[in-house]
Amino acid sequence: MSCPKTHYLLQEYFSENLSAVARDELDRHLTDCVHCNAQLESVLLAQQDLQQWQEQRVPHWDRHLELFRQEHRIDRPVSRFWLSWQWLPTAASLAMLCVLLFNVNVISNDSGFSISFVGSSASGSNLNAQLADFEQAQRLEMQQLVARVEGRQDSTNVQLLQAVMEQAQQSTADSFDQMYAYFEQQRLLDLQDMRAGYEQLVDSDYETIRSLQQLVNYVGYQSDIR
Amino acid sequence: MSLIDEDQALIASALKGSAYAWEKLVKRYELKIYNHGLRLTGNSSDAMDLMQEVFLGVYRNLHRFRGDAKFSSWIFRIAHNKAVDMNRRKRLMTSSPKFSTDDEGDEFEKFPGKKELEPEYRLGNIELNVRVLKMLSELSSDQRSIVELKVFQSLTFDEIAELQDISTNTAKTRFYSALKKLKVVSEKQNVLS
Repeated sequence: MSCPKTHYLLQEYFSENLSAVARDELDRHLTDCVHCNAQLESVLLAQQDLQQWQEQRVPHWDRHLELFRQEHRIDRPVSRFWLSWQWLPTAASLAMLCVLLFNVNVISNDSGFSISFVGSSASGSNLNAQLADFEQAQRLEMQQLVARVEGRQDSTNVQLLQAVMEQAQQSTADSFDQMYAYFEQQRLLDLQDMRAGYEQLVDSDYETIRSLQQLVNYVGYQSDIR
Repeated sequence: MSLIDEDQALIASALKGSAYAWEKLVKRYELKIYNHGLRLTGNSSDAMDLMQEVFLGVYRNLHRFRGDAKFSSWIFRIAHNKAVDMNRRKRLMTSSPKFSTDDEGDEFEKFPGKKELEPEYRLGNIELNVRVLKMLSELSSDQRSIVELKVFQSLTFDEIAELQDISTNTAKTRFYSALKKLKVVSEKQNVLS
C-alpha cells in the first residue's frame, strides 16, 4: 500500500530549515503511515552505508611548495652567521695555493721562526741530505726490528717443537702401557677358559669310566644267572 | 582561536610569503579534498590530479578570498568547479558511453569501464570504501555530486543550491532521488553478498 505524501514528505525530511510545526506534522505522519516509515528506514540505511567511508591517507606530494618558493623568491633559510663567514674557505684555499706555488718554508728555532721561499739549490741540497739521513735512520731501525722479530720467532718455534715432542712421547708411553695391560688381561682370561675346559673334560671322562664299570657289572651279573 | 580565525591568519601569512603558513593551510584541507576527489572520480590517480588542481587554483586565487564566506566553502566551490572541468576534459578524451540519467546537464561521467580503473583495483583491500564507491558509481553525476556535498560535506540544501546554481527544491529532489537509487543498489549488494 503506497502513500501519496511519501515523496514530498521524505524530501522535506532531510531539509534543515523545516519549521517546528512542519517537523511535528511530519513526525506524526511517519508514526502513523507504515509505508512512509518503511521508505524512510530504507533510505536512511542507504545513507548509513555511505557513511561507512573510511578516510584514505593522502599520498605524498609537494603541496606546491616549490612553486610557492619560486614565486615568492624564497631561498632555503641560511644563518646570517654562516653568511658572514662565507669568504673563509675561499681565502684558506688561496693561502694553501700560495704556499704550494711559492714553496714557502717555515722554520722555527730558539730565536723564533722564519719564513723563507725555498727555491735555492743550497736549500735543496740541504733538504736532500736531511732526507738521506732520515732514510738511513729508517732503514737501520727497520733492520733492527726485523732482527728482533726473527729472534723472537725462532725461540717461539723451538718452544713449540719441544712441547709437541714431549706430548708425543708421553702419548706413546701411555699407549704401550695400555697395550701391555690389555694383553695381560687377555692372557689371564684365556688361562681361566682353558682350566674350565680341562675340568669339564676330566669330569666327562670320570662319568664315562663309571658307566663302563656299571656295564661290566651288569654283564657279569647276567652271566652268573645263566 | 577558532578554525576560521586560524584559516584567516594562515591565509594572511601565506599572502605575505610564508611557505610554512601555506603548507599548514594545505595540510588542513588536503585530506578532505583528496577523499572528496576519490569519491567523485572513483580512483586515486584522478583524485590526486584533482587535488593538485584544486590547490593550484587556491594558490592562484588566494588574494581574492575576502573572508566573507568560510574558507572551507570557498575551497569546496573550487573543488566542485575543477571536478566539473576535469570531467568535461575526460569526456572529450574518452568515448565511453554517458551514464543514462533523467536529470539534465550531466556534469560527471560514470566511472570508466576499464577493469583496472574500477574502484576495487584502485583502492586495494578497503572493502567498505569499495562498497561505497560501487554504490556511488550507480548514481548520475549530479546525484553523486549532491550526495557528496550533503552526506560527506554536510552542506545545507541552500548552500548546495548556491554552489551548483540550482534551486533549493531541485537540490532536495535530486538528493532524495539519489537516496532512493542508493537504497536499491544497497539492497542488490546485500542480496549478492
